Amino acid sequence: MTASPETETNTAIVKLEDVHLSFGQTQVLKGIDLTIYKGDAFSIIGPSGSGKSTILRCINALVTPQSGKITVAGTRVDQLTKESERIQLRKRVGIVFQQYNLFPHLTVLDNIVLAPTKILGADKTATVKLARELLEKVRLSEKADAYPGQLSGGQQQRVAIARALAMKPELVLFDEVTSALDPETVGEVLWVIRDLIRDGMTSILVTHEMRFAEEISDTVVFTENGRIVDHGSPQQIFHTADNPRIRQFVGGLSGGGRGAVRDGEGI
Amino acid sequence: MQDMNLTSLFIELMARLGLNYEFLATGYEAQIWRDGFLTTLYLVAVTIPVSLIVGLIFAACLTSNRPWLSAPVRGFVELTRNTPTLVQLMFSFLVLNTVVSNMVGGAQNNPLSPFFWVVAVVGLHVAALHAEAIRGGIEAVPSSMIEAARGMGFSPFEIMRYVQIPLAFRSSLPAIVNGLISLVKSTTVGNAIAVSEITYASIMVWTQRDNVVELMIVLLAFFSLINFVVARVGSWVERRLAIPGYGL
Repeated sequence: MTASPETETNTAIVKLEDVHLSFGQTQVLKGIDLTIYKGDAFSIIGPSGSGKSTILRCINALVTPQSGKITVAGTRVDQLTKESERIQLRKRVGIVFQQYNLFPHLTVLDNIVLAPTKILGADKTATVKLARELLEKVRLSEKADAYPGQLSGGQQQRVAIARALAMKPELVLFDEVTSALDPETVGEVLWVIRDLIRDGMTSILVTHEMRFAEEISDTVVFTENGRIVDHGSPQQIFHTADNPRIRQFVGGLSGGGRGAVRDGEGI
Repeated sequence: MQDMNLTSLFIELMARLGLNYEFLATGYEAQIWRDGFLTTLYLVAVTIPVSLIVGLIFAACLTSNRPWLSAPVRGFVELTRNTPTLVQLMFSFLVLNTVVSNMVGGAQNNPLSPFFWVVAVVGLHVAALHAEAIRGGIEAVPSSMIEAARGMGFSPFEIMRYVQIPLAFRSSLPAIVNGLISLVKSTTVGNAIAVSEITYASIMVWTQRDNVVELMIVLLAFFSLINFVVARVGSWVERRLAIPGYGL
């Protein structure tokens, strides 16, 4: 119907309609509407505390909103009443966090193999094979037997991504995955995510990496105070936004030299 | 006969030092004493795993968000921690055991022996100590790591089984070893209800022979040796489970 070349193959994989959520007295989400299509890279940007991470947690049923409709890969998440049903959903939706959160007592390989074999009941040999392939993909083959404590932040985060992928998720959520990293290791993590998006993995990113978001996203939304202020193509959000608040935010973050260094590293 | 000679040689040598081990040459008292060692070792061997398994279950209950699980265990832990083991044992044996006897129609039908009550009381007492130590370890697991596991589809039980307990066990290991050392010593309360462990057996012998010092030396050496082994095994496990690059 529209000019977009992908229209005929596009099916919504995530849809949020008028989602409201509060923690106690604090209203975090005040009516969020989002549609994310299969195979898309979707970035959520905005100031801290604007509800970005909470949106991801709603999609993954880690938190339950008070009202609104959430549909993820055919499942009405808002209608799930039992924890066991939410667990079934989480197995299909990968999530990677800012703090990597690898299991420190397991080797890199065991971190990746644990959930597919113990939680999904996948075959051990096949999963180990898959894990080694994923480690190769994130360029950490030689670290299979290392423990997380022996890796740098960037390496741990790449393992965390491989661990999420080992569950063969239908989409992956990235929650500020480079925010805890030093500037030099950000590039290696973004490189992995960029690859993943090129392979067609539906990815939803909450990020402060403006240049990266601009480069890889199909759609970008800007959130503030629990609302979506604007959404559009990266071009629209980063360059032609009418809203002065967005222009201020984007201009303030992407102007520095850090972005340039990362860009050079990433490509 | 070789054995006999060694025993008499030992008695002879000790006599020169002024120590009276003559009872070793008798059949009956020597037998009681030897059985006492075995009973103590048997008590320790049975009570240690009981305390560890129950301690783990208690810790899981204490940290569960279900009040019907955590409240009774919390009550039990407080009660056990704050009252003397000897009193608990007497209460269990004189009251609970009698109740059981009445329920099954007489003491002759009661399958629960004094040995059982020592294992139960000491085991659960130390389990309460383990539980507190493990609970501390479970609560020290960062909430972000638990959220990550939830995000991957782990159930609360699976998070406990694969993430919290492996980490909590490591961090609480020094406290657990302390608990086990105190468990070994606590098995001596069995003498109060006539479980013929080594202190009971020693008392039997020295009331006849008046050789308290002689038996005390062996008694102290025996418990020191058991606890030396417990501590060594503990630090071996600690080394084996140490996580490279992690502060545990």
